[in-house]
Amino acid sequence: MTLPRPATPLHDRPAPRRWTQIDPILLIVTLLLIGYGLVMTYSTTAETRTFTGDPMQFVIRGAIWAAVGMAAMAAIALFDYAWLGAFAPLLYVFMLGLLSVVLAIGSSSLGAQRSVNIGGLSFQFSEVAKVLMIIVLAKFFADRRASIGSPLTMLLGLALLAPAVLLVYRQPDLGTSLVFIAIFFGIAFLAGARIWQLVALVAIAAASFPLVWALLKDYQRARLSAFLDPYSDPQGAGWNIIQSLIAVGSGGATGKGLTAGTQSPLGYLPIAESDFVFSGLAEDLGFAGAVILFALYIVLLVAALRVALRAKDPFGMLIGGGVATMLVFQILVNVGMAISLMPVTGIPLPFISHGGSSLVSVCFALGVLQSVSMRREPEGP
Amino acid sequence: MRQPTRAFVSVRRFIAFGVAIVVIFSTLTARLYDLEIVRGDYYHQLSEQNRIVRLPVPAERGGIVDRNGYVLARNIPGFAISVIPVDLSRTREDELSQRLASLLDLPSDAIGDVIRAQRIRNPYEPVRISKTPVPREIALVVTERAELFPGVRVDPESIRFYVDGTLYAPVIGYTGPITEQELAKLKDSGYLPDDDVGRTGIEDVYEQFLRGTYGWREIERDAAQREIKTLALQRATVGNTVSLTIDDRLQKLLDAELRKGVDEDKFTQAVGVAMNPQNGEILAMVSIPGYDNNMFARGISTAELAALNADDRHPLVNKAIGDRYPAGSTFKMVTGLSALSAGTATRDTVVNVSASSFSVSGTTFYDWRAHGSLDFVHGFAHSSDIYFYTLAAGTPFAPNVHGVGPDAIAKYARMLGFGAPTGIDLPGEDGGIMPDPQWKIATFDEPWTIGNTYQEAIGQGFVAVTPLQLLNAYASVANGGTLWQPHLLKQVTDAAGKTLPIPQWTSQKLDMTQENLRLIREAARRVVTIGHAYMPNLKIPIAGKTGTAEFGASAGKDSAGRNKLGFHNWFVSFVPQADNTDPTAQIAMAIFTYDSSKSLCELCLNPAVGMTQRILEQYLGPKK
Repeated sequence: MTLPRPATPLHDRPAPRRWTQIDPILLIVTLLLIGYGLVMTYSTTAETRTFTGDPMQFVIRGAIWAAVGMAAMAAIALFDYAWLGAFAPLLYVFMLGLLSVVLAIGSSSLGAQRSVNIGGLSFQFSEVAKVLMIIVLAKFFADRRASIGSPLTMLLGLALLAPAVLLVYRQPDLGTSLVFIAIFFGIAFLAGARIWQLVALVAIAAASFPLVWALLKDYQRARLSAFLDPYSDPQGAGWNIIQSLIAVGSGGATGKGLTAGTQSPLGYLPIAESDFVFSGLAEDLGFAGAVILFALYIVLLVAALRVALRAKDPFGMLIGGGVATMLVFQILVNVGMAISLMPVTGIPLPFISHGGSSLVSVCFALGVLQSVSMRREPEGP
Repeated sequence: MRQPTRAFVSVRRFIAFGVAIVVIFSTLTARLYDLEIVRGDYYHQLSEQNRIVRLPVPAERGGIVDRNGYVLARNIPGFAISVIPVDLSRTREDELSQRLASLLDLPSDAIGDVIRAQRIRNPYEPVRISKTPVPREIALVVTERAELFPGVRVDPESIRFYVDGTLYAPVIGYTGPITEQELAKLKDSGYLPDDDVGRTGIEDVYEQFLRGTYGWREIERDAAQREIKTLALQRATVGNTVSLTIDDRLQKLLDAELRKGVDEDKFTQAVGVAMNPQNGEILAMVSIPGYDNNMFARGISTAELAALNADDRHPLVNKAIGDRYPAGSTFKMVTGLSALSAGTATRDTVVNVSASSFSVSGTTFYDWRAHGSLDFVHGFAHSSDIYFYTLAAGTPFAPNVHGVGPDAIAKYARMLGFGAPTGIDLPGEDGGIMPDPQWKIATFDEPWTIGNTYQEAIGQGFVAVTPLQLLNAYASVANGGTLWQPHLLKQVTDAAGKTLPIPQWTSQKLDMTQENLRLIREAARRVVTIGHAYMPNLKIPIAGKTGTAEFGASAGKDSAGRNKLGFHNWFVSFVPQADNTDPTAQIAMAIFTYDSSKSLCELCLNPAVGMTQRILEQYLGPKK
């Protein structure tokens, strides 16, 4: 039996674009989440505004990034995602190049070298690198459906993944390197990889934990210990966790109201507009605000998975799976960190964390999804 | 809509993926429900505690005044110098440390360490550099040359000021920074790590009265501990005013006389204590050499403290209570009262002192002259050693007189307060030594000898007393038999002028007859009129007893080449209201001078006698 040759726009007529097949639910929930994010930026930067004079500067900046993100989403949706597949090797090299640039000339903040300044704006290249990795891995596994069960395929996939993970880890950004690993597992799982192989990988990772522990930086070890027992060092590594729990818990059922929270404006909650934004959200808007956010996320994820399910080829399907994996992993880690279910790592909460690179990258990813959606086979009669 | 060409879709894996999403969001929601709904109130409380903090508002320490309201200790405005690390660039850290070090007389690396530690702890919070309040002049240097002192903050803080520093230092003492151990004990009483507490003297003993009631301020603060606004305020209440029984006029008269004697090199150390025999109130207490307690208030330097500690005249010790000395002949009052009370002697017991010495088992005991025939009054007035040897242990001069013995002497001496602290309201009181045969066996593992009794009879040998013990014993004779607990506290007044309850002073009745006590008063008066302590043109009926004790060169030399234990001169006196033997004295005084530079000179005038006359005549005489 011959498998159908993987579609490439170089050989085939481009798949027809069908505007009617834009996923409306995905689009609407995306816009709602961007709006929610701007509201939270407004709320968590209320105190900063009074110090810096320009009352709306963070919100305006957020809105500009949202506009850029939506433009990127629209632009990428116009292109046939098959082109992305065709140029996957190039994208891969480009991605590694970006991550190397960060290490070479990146500017430091809070002890980590994560962003690059261009024309006064700072870019976190690792955010867009995540999306590129999704495309590369989706393409890799889509092209190897026949040999998906072979350990060699798995090892080759890991070989693709490893340089990116190491480059991000060197920044150091343990959280984002974990996102890369999660994307790998998500795509491999949906591509049909042998479960035992995936389990074996997890087992190897667990077994090598002592080695990893030795390689961790001191602050990372402190964060892990603090996660297990925040009160062992309440003024130090445990501080963020304790203050975040206080912020979340003090929100109660309906929250203290927008900008009325005290934990973040008074500085008890560190990095309240990005890493710990969920704590600020839970404090200001309470359990209700958090549940609304979760509901939007679930709709987004279901919509993304639906696009994946209906994709016309494995590449499209795996892109959808990869994007869903990235989103759910970031949500789990960021929210889990805020409520002390996960150790502290600096992973942004999609749409809600204030930060252009993260927002534009997520929009870019969703634009690719829309491209997949628009080029699927039309619904049966 | 599955088609053969879409076999790449594994629906089961998608379902598993969906289940994972449901599990993740259910877990997050459940945890949030627990935090926000179930434990929301608890965390809300924590967030309020975070934000709202109650800061103490320190209260001024109460003043110390004499019995007439003359101010002895008060507070003057001083300043605290702090550094806010965030306002100080790292490159100027060393420069600033050195500048502050020379200004505040502190080691510069210590200052640098404090700043660096604070930079790590909380760079927004000021850290105090000055250990004690800084005077206005130094604070002005910092504020006027602010460009030289980046990040430095000056805050008002009061500084303790002792009006007559050295004059009252032995009594009043000083305050100092609280130690960690003290803080651990006192934290519940509202003490704070930066607080000062009384270190010694009245400042220490009456800390509870002098310390004010701290107020508090409830402020909203951010995580960097910066204050955002004040939410509520409870004002501090100034500490109570402590009035002492001291009479500043007498204190100054006494001090001037004693200081003059030191200046004229008549003696090197001196103590003067005066009290009211009728109630135990201390009217004056001078110990020379002393120290200026303002040195401690403004922060004593290591060199200054080392110099005080190195001085073998012990300027930091209140010698009226903290050092013990041989009582010398003043102790004959005790020997005499013991013999009278035990019934082994009366006022008519006569000893014929026909020689100035005698020997017992190879040891010779001396008197200062062959007095001839002496009764009790004359034996006391002329301070005959042999008369009191006879009363204590019997001598060949009066075969029919039986000595009262060392146990009886010890018993009556202890009744008069010897061998135990008087219980005065000052720290560091010495109990002295009141020996008896048992004590000697326990201490030296040697039996008591008759020689010990002879020595004890005239206040030599093992007997050691504090000037206050001696004064208190004479005061109890002067008042007709009541041994008071001497004290310095007269009254405590709060900020509103209300008098607060103070301790009840104890007193003990002496188990002695009025007749015997009257005999001692009579004999003591005769010391002045016919005896040892002649006072020319005396205008008031002073009675008293001299004492001299000598160690000479036997104890070795001190670091300045003086005899380590020089000779002591005592005069303990009291002044009845009229020239009679009634127990009406309103004042008793002990003067003690100590000269480590000269050997005994028997014919030299006891300087304490003349000083007593001048002081008491000025104090009790017509006021100018």
